[in-house]
Amino acid sequence: MLVLKNLQHNEFLEKVNQKSGSNVLNCYQCGKCVSTCPVSGYMEITPRQVMQYIKLAEDEKLFAANSTWYCLTCSSCSARCPREIEIPRVMEAVRHLAIEANILPDSSKIKSIKKFHDIFISMIKRYGKMFELRLMAEFNLRTGQFFKDIALAPKAIGKGKLKFKSEKIKNLKGLKRLFEMNQKLESEIQNTENASKHESK
Amino acid sequence: MKDKKFTYYPGCSAHGTSEEYEHTLNLVCKSLNIKIEEIPDWNCCGATSAHVMTENLALALPMRNLILAERLENSTMVIPCAACYSRMKETKIRLDEDFSLRTKINSTVDDGDYKGNVAVKSFLQYCFEDIGIEDIKEKVVKPLKDLKVACYYGCLLTRPKNIAQFDSPEYPISMDKIIESLGATAVEYPFKTECCGASFSISNTEIVLDLSSRILDVVKDCGADIIAVGCPLCQSNLDMRQKQIEEKMNRDYKIPVVYFTQLMALAFGYPKSELKLKKHMVNVEKVLASF
Amino acid sequence: MARVGVFVCYCGANIGDYVDVPKVVEEIKKIKEVRFAFDYKYMCSDPGQTTIKDAIIREKLTSVVVAACSPRMHEKTFRKALLEAGMNPYLLEVANIREHSSWVHQKDKVAATKKAVDLIRMAVSKSIANQQLHEISVPVTKRALVIGGGIAGIQAALDIADAHIPVLLVERSPSIGGRMAQLDETFPTLDCSQCIMTPKMVDAASHPFIELMTYSEVIELQGFVGNYKAKIKRKASYVKFDACTGCGACWQKCPVKVDNEFNFGQGKRKAIYTPFAQAVPNKPVIDAIHCTMLTKGKCGICEKVCEKGAIDYKMTDEVIEREIGAVVVATGYDLWDPKPYEEYGVGRYKDVITSLEFERMVSAGGPTNGLPIRPSDGEVPKTVVFLKCIGSRDESKGISYCSKICCMYTAKHVMLLHHKVHDSHSFVFYMDIRANGKGYEEFVKRAQVDTASTYLRGRVSKIYQKGKKLIVQGEDAQIGQQVQIEADLVVLANAIVPQKDAPELARMLGISYDRYGFLSEAHPKLRPVETTKAGVYLAGCCQAPKDIPESVSQASAAAAKVMGLFASDRLKKDPMVSTVLIENCSGCQNCIPACPYGAITTEEIPIMRGSKDLRTVAKINEGVCQGCGSCVAICRSSAAMLSGYTDLQLMKEVIAL
Repeated sequence: MLVLKNLQHNEFLEKVNQKSGSNVLNCYQCGKCVSTCPVSGYMEITPRQVMQYIKLAEDEKLFAANSTWYCLTCSSCSARCPREIEIPRVMEAVRHLAIEANILPDSSKIKSIKKFHDIFISMIKRYGKMFELRLMAEFNLRTGQFFKDIALAPKAIGKGKLKFKSEKIKNLKGLKRLFEMNQKLESEIQNTENASKHESK
Repeated sequence: MKDKKFTYYPGCSAHGTSEEYEHTLNLVCKSLNIKIEEIPDWNCCGATSAHVMTENLALALPMRNLILAERLENSTMVIPCAACYSRMKETKIRLDEDFSLRTKINSTVDDGDYKGNVAVKSFLQYCFEDIGIEDIKEKVVKPLKDLKVACYYGCLLTRPKNIAQFDSPEYPISMDKIIESLGATAVEYPFKTECCGASFSISNTEIVLDLSSRILDVVKDCGADIIAVGCPLCQSNLDMRQKQIEEKMNRDYKIPVVYFTQLMALAFGYPKSELKLKKHMVNVEKVLASF
Repeated sequence: MARVGVFVCYCGANIGDYVDVPKVVEEIKKIKEVRFAFDYKYMCSDPGQTTIKDAIIREKLTSVVVAACSPRMHEKTFRKALLEAGMNPYLLEVANIREHSSWVHQKDKVAATKKAVDLIRMAVSKSIANQQLHEISVPVTKRALVIGGGIAGIQAALDIADAHIPVLLVERSPSIGGRMAQLDETFPTLDCSQCIMTPKMVDAASHPFIELMTYSEVIELQGFVGNYKAKIKRKASYVKFDACTGCGACWQKCPVKVDNEFNFGQGKRKAIYTPFAQAVPNKPVIDAIHCTMLTKGKCGICEKVCEKGAIDYKMTDEVIEREIGAVVVATGYDLWDPKPYEEYGVGRYKDVITSLEFERMVSAGGPTNGLPIRPSDGEVPKTVVFLKCIGSRDESKGISYCSKICCMYTAKHVMLLHHKVHDSHSFVFYMDIRANGKGYEEFVKRAQVDTASTYLRGRVSKIYQKGKKLIVQGEDAQIGQQVQIEADLVVLANAIVPQKDAPELARMLGISYDRYGFLSEAHPKLRPVETTKAGVYLAGCCQAPKDIPESVSQASAAAAKVMGLFASDRLKKDPMVSTVLIENCSGCQNCIPACPYGAITTEEIPIMRGSKDLRTVAKINEGVCQGCGSCVAICRSSAAMLSGYTDLQLMKEVIAL
């Protein structure tokens, strides 16, 4: 049984609206997004249901679902939404809030997807550009899928699609500083969030 | 035809998995007397992972490239990779609209102040809008007669509508018109903008196999000989993973996937040996044997 | 010596809660000229009015101020009270202390009270300068004009004509009948549309009090209520209606075939044609764009075969002028072109059609003799998918409203399909089911339970061709899954929109329209058939989407309004019209082009009394003047004055403040 709270002040909805630039309340549950989404069959909670859960302030339920991690940001849904809601940005807002709250679905698949993104970003930090071979190798290693794409890799290397050497940008120092400054921005936002939470208590 | 020039952002795969795209893009521009000025010391735009995981970093990485581009004093920055193009264009639009956001993100980037005076276009858009069909037609010395091409746009060349602001998000025609100007036939089929699975290629491969197979099924039904694309991720999903899809789903496609610039270069008279066709996993030679 | 009576209303809690009424009365009593000040809970009520009337007589008041709600609400009521007490009703002044004070200053009682006092003080000053005015009466032309010959126009015309009032019914297509003539059966009774409407059409054509002008358009309307002048263009039909018997020899022999627009391009008609078999009048017209005789001078077969000599290639458009007392606008609706839904393959796939195209197919008199077929190959469809809300309720397509009738006609289509193709199956994709008329819910239930149909809640995202079939991809929200259907035919319930030239028509008639182009009613709740222009009424879908019973009701209501208007021989008019102070008039004539109603002309008067030399001054026709004040604003000599709002009266208000 889902017991609904008094939703007069739905902080979760407000945060999602603010981050996504759309108003989730406009959604009239027509289902065109689910119908369009190429991966809605893989999602535990479909995009339409995600909208409804946001209206019901069920943030933790959404954080624990695989939906936002499966969203491809292909924007097929928002191209067709009659209420012109930017659904990929709403999914992204929910995902970012989940990352901030440090709540992830309890699935190895999602954990490996997140690992992929983390490795990708660390590559950028290290080289300034993508080092594809290392990305694939590290991913396989860190997710324990040692034999993934084992047939493909040599062929790709052979054709010169995957290079052995990394390319670095010259101003790595500047890039490092960029990363640090942005990290600072994120923690500043986190601190103001926590402060206001304490205040309201 | 006037000499044109644009600022060029190659993207990370330009020297790796999509080398043939950059190479033939250069050939095409050479034929059309267009000068390319690569942004010195550009960085990775962040692609999918940056915006999936972060808000600010995802804007800062493209912003640095935009600032570097502005130093070159060309009016337009052209980007071949659809994903890089989408990230840069979205960043530009959001920074142009929101002054406080712009200031905030700019404070994390050392390389200068963002002015917002460079337009951002995909190479497909540049070909269609700035070069134009007539000029392309003029350069064709080897018409690709009887070649049936399925133009696959993927998600990010024409979507989201308010970011790409180009062609149609449902039934685009720009690439089709370019292909037709080369003398080939652009085949009509309903999956031009369906997603191939994009960046899940490594982390969630089963999705790519499913989604790409849906596209390949429909393309096969419509009788195309070859698929033309404008995105390295689409190319790699449909080409590199084609054999895997055939094995897993018991299908038989053998449809080569090339970049539209490779077809342009071929029609402009460059020999096949210069088009890096051997880089493709699915054999291209057979289909292009008569050219 | 002025003796003003001031009556302050509490308006229940509306004024009383936000304005200190007793204090207001106390302050007002301090004004020298106020002889009597009184407050009451509801001044407009019977006891309230009685107090006013008694006070007028008892206190020998010379003018009255009522401080209450907006004069738009009860000015008439209070004027009547004054009249009943023997006082000229135009010695009343209303101070609006509700909309102008209590309702807008709810947070500051002190300030609101002070403002109320100020407003009343201004009204008191003005009322002292008010003059006794007398109502003007104008004649009424007892003839009605009904624009549009669909079911609403026909019903309005019949009702007015039955009251022995002559009606001019103008229809721009060659036959009356409108959209209802295109329908096969109507919900919820599944009556044959033509069968129930044709008797009314014939009545309208033969009624002694109805003058039917088909193939004609209203091109101008001048004047004011009771006194309009209409210009109607009768388009050249190239057929002499008096001679023609409707035998059909001409259209049978005509060699030119044109896409039949009545059937949305399915099937052909001839260049000389009647739009459908039961056309009223049953006389053909020649389509001047496609007739080879009229465009190239070749053919002439119809003239040769016509035994009555009714063909006249030399006919021209005719403009007819009529004097009219009232107008009923019943111009109906159009259907939205669903082309913007690229994802549904509209225009790309032949087997994706609109609801009215489907309706024409299943109609007995339609292009396929009542059998639904696939336009692509002529085969009978077995799996048909109906999509509702195409354009309607879709802000991305610019239409926020609901088109009201699609839920019902889709259920009807499901039933019709089942009757015609017994082994067919329908799928209906919906967001909601709106069935709120009498018998409507039961009708929908029949469609859902008694026929082979599956209703799915969810929207379709994409339709594409695979071989001979159409793949329809949607969601069934009840089970939360993507679904795919291999359909033979897809029918889109596209939105009802106003006629494309509705705004143009509205501007010509001088009435307003909303952002979609629907014509505006005077008040959405209490005055749904009137417009803000006196004497012009609305009926049917030109005002908003609605079904047939509502159109017919609205048409009868509009007819009742016309009959009410025509009940007296002269119409009473507010005397708040402009007059010319000829002593001040310089004869510059700037007021003449300023007047939107053409109420001002000139006259010659002697320069001085007894002089033979003349000078020109302006002359205002008080019957035509609507009291807009444009001439007053433009007059540099302060010669034009609005009775009831003279410069003196307005200055008194300003000085009082």
